[in-house]
Amino acid sequence: MEINAVLSMGVQGEEDSYAGKLHLIPPYLAFTSLDRKSVRFTLPLSTIRRVERLNARAGIYALSLSTWHGMKIIVQLTSLRPTADAFCSLLREALKVELQKGQMKAVKGFVRTCYSEVLVSTSSTAPDNEREDGSLINDAKEGSPPVEMEYHGGLGLRFKFPGDAKKLREASKVKLWTTYLRAHGRNLTLLRYPQCTRLVQVGLPNRLRGEMWETLSGSLYLRFANPGLYERLLEENKGRTSTSTEDIEKDLHRSLPEYAGYQSEDGINALRRVLQAYSFRNPEVGYCQAMNILAAAILIYMSEEQAFWLLEVLCDRLLPGYYSPSMHGTLLDQRVFESLVHRCLPIIHDHFQVVDVQLSVASLPWFLSLFINSMPMVFAFRIVDCFFCMGPKVLFQVGLAVLKINGEKLLQIQDDGGFLNLMREYFASLGESAHPNSSDPRARAITRFQELLLVSFREFAVITDDTILSERRKFRNEIIHSIESFSKRSAIRNLKSLGRFTKDQAGLIYDALYKAMCVVPPPPAVAPPASLFTTNDGNYDRPETRVGLRTFHVFLSEILTWARDDKVVINGFQQRVDREIAEHELIDRLFYFWDTSCNGALSLQDLVSGLEGVMFNDLMDNIEWFFNLHDKNKDGHLTKDEVLTLSESFLFIFRYEIGDAYLGAVSRFMTNAFEYGDALLPRQENGEPGESSPPHIASNQPYLNLATFRMVVLADEILEAFFETDLSASFRLEPVPDLELPTNNGFLGDLWSNIATADNKKFFNKLTDEVGKTIGRHQVIYRPSIGRFTKLEEPKARESLLSPAMKSGSAGADTDTLGTSKSSSSTLAVDAEAAQSSKAASAFSPLPMVKAANAALMERTPFAIDDAGDDSDSDLESDIPEDDDQVMDEVDAFLEAHDSGLTDADKELAKDLIDAEPVK
Amino acid sequence: MVDSETNLGNASKSVQVKLVLLGEAAVGKSSVVLRFVTNEFQSNKEPTIGAAFLTQKCRLEDRVLRYEIWDTAGQERFHSLAPMYYRNAQAAVVIYDVTKASSLDKAKSWVKELQRQAHPNIVIALVGNKIDLVRPLSLSLGFTPHPDSEEEADDATATPDGTTSGDAGPVCLRQVPREEAQAYAAETGLLFSETSAKTGEGIVEVFTAIAKKIPIEHIIASSRGSVGRFDVAGSRTVSQEGGVNLDEAAVKGTSSCSC
Repeated sequence: MEINAVLSMGVQGEEDSYAGKLHLIPPYLAFTSLDRKSVRFTLPLSTIRRVERLNARAGIYALSLSTWHGMKIIVQLTSLRPTADAFCSLLREALKVELQKGQMKAVKGFVRTCYSEVLVSTSSTAPDNEREDGSLINDAKEGSPPVEMEYHGGLGLRFKFPGDAKKLREASKVKLWTTYLRAHGRNLTLLRYPQCTRLVQVGLPNRLRGEMWETLSGSLYLRFANPGLYERLLEENKGRTSTSTEDIEKDLHRSLPEYAGYQSEDGINALRRVLQAYSFRNPEVGYCQAMNILAAAILIYMSEEQAFWLLEVLCDRLLPGYYSPSMHGTLLDQRVFESLVHRCLPIIHDHFQVVDVQLSVASLPWFLSLFINSMPMVFAFRIVDCFFCMGPKVLFQVGLAVLKINGEKLLQIQDDGGFLNLMREYFASLGESAHPNSSDPRARAITRFQELLLVSFREFAVITDDTILSERRKFRNEIIHSIESFSKRSAIRNLKSLGRFTKDQAGLIYDALYKAMCVVPPPPAVAPPASLFTTNDGNYDRPETRVGLRTFHVFLSEILTWARDDKVVINGFQQRVDREIAEHELIDRLFYFWDTSCNGALSLQDLVSGLEGVMFNDLMDNIEWFFNLHDKNKDGHLTKDEVLTLSESFLFIFRYEIGDAYLGAVSRFMTNAFEYGDALLPRQENGEPGESSPPHIASNQPYLNLATFRMVVLADEILEAFFETDLSASFRLEPVPDLELPTNNGFLGDLWSNIATADNKKFFNKLTDEVGKTIGRHQVIYRPSIGRFTKLEEPKARESLLSPAMKSGSAGADTDTLGTSKSSSSTLAVDAEAAQSSKAASAFSPLPMVKAANAALMERTPFAIDDAGDDSDSDLESDIPEDDDQVMDEVDAFLEAHDSGLTDADKELAKDLIDAEPVK
Repeated sequence: MVDSETNLGNASKSVQVKLVLLGEAAVGKSSVVLRFVTNEFQSNKEPTIGAAFLTQKCRLEDRVLRYEIWDTAGQERFHSLAPMYYRNAQAAVVIYDVTKASSLDKAKSWVKELQRQAHPNIVIALVGNKIDLVRPLSLSLGFTPHPDSEEEADDATATPDGTTSGDAGPVCLRQVPREEAQAYAAETGLLFSETSAKTGEGIVEVFTAIAKKIPIEHIIASSRGSVGRFDVAGSRTVSQEGGVNLDEAAVKGTSSCSC
């Protein structure tokens, strides 16, 4: 539930008040200011220790919240009274639930793992006395001073952090953060005021960096909500190997190898565990090169468990699809970036077009490894700070700024190589002065890196999260399409033999298989999911993608007319074809017939070869093919049982043919088969009993050979026609209608939404059927698989199926197949609508935690710029005590005004509330 | 050695050739390039994100080639990014690992892809890397037409300095017979050789052989306009030597295929 609210700090004069929305998403309470950037927080309910209604002026409804850290927040609920009451009672219930779950007790242990606690408690002269103001529950009494805090930390604690601490002004930064964290809460209870973002922009202090990353990105909440999961994951999967673990091994020693921590076994082992744990946690993504760089980088600043959760947020939420097997997120964002360059820097874009330079050759690694691979680490980490604080748009902003700053030189380059060299030189020079020839020493002191941030966040502030989202939407389909056609091309290229098929035909087979795999994904044991779609992942020594029997059923029903039941349903509102997958022994038989390598699964090659074996056949070939299909032991003879099975196969194939012609043909076939068969039996003297059970031959002994079979078949005109053309023609390679692609995530097809679509379709169809039945206009016709006699004997055939009333009732219903296919397209339109609504429904159902974490990620404050004194003071001021405020002064110069969304009167009121007494 | 600045005077202009390296992950693509460009071997090499870009000059008798080398990422999921790097490439080096049979299959599929998707006249070299790991088997140098060329088995080549833990175990069996790969290369029209980026064996020869096969005139003729569009008209026979420091077992004429 959400409600309008005004937030103020519980201390007079600490911060302005801000209007915004308060969201209750158990187990979280979150706030965002109206401008969605200035102020926000996400509090786990278990950190709220006391809630009081404040006694204030009439008509004002205000709550005072005390958090675990002793911080007091005042929220004035500005919605209508009943809404406010409802909100409060929900809040009360939610808090009770948390208390019962024992979550409240977990907080204490958890915050111990956070460095910020150490920072605040050790350097505070007046320790948090405010805390003892009676908590909601009783365990907050920690009498002794904060004993040995076991806070989490990264490799940097042992192997040094990159960069020169003095140059980085660590001490000043730590002091500023300590002050901020003491007043505004920390880790689980951090309130993000504009000051917080500003502090992030000047660079996080090394020791605090890891924790702030997890707090700002929201991964902290995941770690809090899933204690011990990381260790369990490793324990449960101990010794397990997979493609991912193999790939990880290859890269362990080449992940930031120049950092001392990764020249030691401890560092390597930590890296291995984090990457493996992620690959176990999310096998669909597994491991992608570049993740090792990210993991290695963040492990310098955080513990394994912290890094694991941060990696999860990074790969799943901040950079969705970047590291997936198709890398669709990467491709998409490259496309988006290109479009933004086109829009913001048209001259550069045009020049690139003219000289045929591809932007991605340089920009791809920027995005994939968050610049860590491109810039000196100290600078890259500054960008990473901003990235976790303000979200993925930072990458685009910095990328655009890099191009803009190098604009003139970029217009000189002639090819990809020149472009890359220029970028390399630029990144190597980031520490140099941006204006080396300026007469103003202050201007000279500005480094190129500072200039980069300045341009990024000032000139490209127009690039917002919404920009990125809408651009991504715009290019999504384009990217999906190109990935699909790429993997299709390479799947077909990698076929060993196309047989007599053209490439286009093989493409159609691929499409049908692709569709079948979306409906019934192949079992993961046989093929890692998504491998067909991504050009044979799972390298070449692993089995290719193979589909099982169930997927095969779906596949075949796309291609083979008698492998499906096409029900033409007419109910007065619509005429549609309900396609069902036929189940029959014959279909299974085909599967095993084509499984020449006896794998119990078919590859694309098996399918192509199998189809090739029947689709180009003439009469004699087809008779032989059909014979072989039923000759299980391949001895050139059918047994009696097999003859019966074969007859059943005929009946199955002809099951929807109109009229009795086929039935007669099959019956004649059986009679003849056994007659000839018996007649040809070598010297069977005591063959008394009738044709159906000849003398000595057991039902599983060789009985009928190919020549006899051929003779029997050719004796019948209808069967002859069937084998001459109809059999081959019943395999039809037709374009598969486009799958409806889900809009939410993964291009592969959010199965969930597919199912929802199908359900809706069914529901709609059922509804119209019901109505159709009640008004007597419902009928079902099976569409024949062969259809040879539809034209000839149609009137007669129809009569046998239709009631006389129906016949007169709807002339339109009496249409041939052409009409039905028309109607099926009209159903499609309806389906699309239904799909829309189902998607809307699905969008609102994710887990509350995900939602809360999303809320935490949603809002980002725009950037104010770096302090100009970043490392300028190394030479001159090194022994002058640093003036902490100075760090921020320069920042403030660039600050945008933050809009609190309140009038002066409102502000006054908010201030009054700070001193208000609780209601009894 | 393969340096640019020891000029021979006549090498008027250097011709720019775009070359792309492809192959399965960890077959040593980056190491091969590094050996060629800087004559170094680092056992811990940062994996390539997307592609690394390096340049190196290669001197033939009459001309200097400037290689622009695109060293692509090997992991399978980066495959779909590869076209970005091999477009307009005039040469490709497809690498496999002689100790890993599957890597040759992957190499074959790269060759197929290049032949269909890349520049129609791209010069492709198939290279089996890591022969230092299977040292005792054969010591035939790259591009020698007869794989039987006798062992001068100088054990020094199997430099014992390395053998770092990162490399596949100390004992490795050859999984790809030289003959098999060579036959495939001949049949598909590829240059072929076996190399060791670790010892440096055969590396320079790969690039020299490519240089000789590339129809340089056409590049020069066309490079004034846009890049690309060159045709292999006739077989060029530039005799080797040049500034390239070929080992004693210099390239003897016919590379396995001259189309």
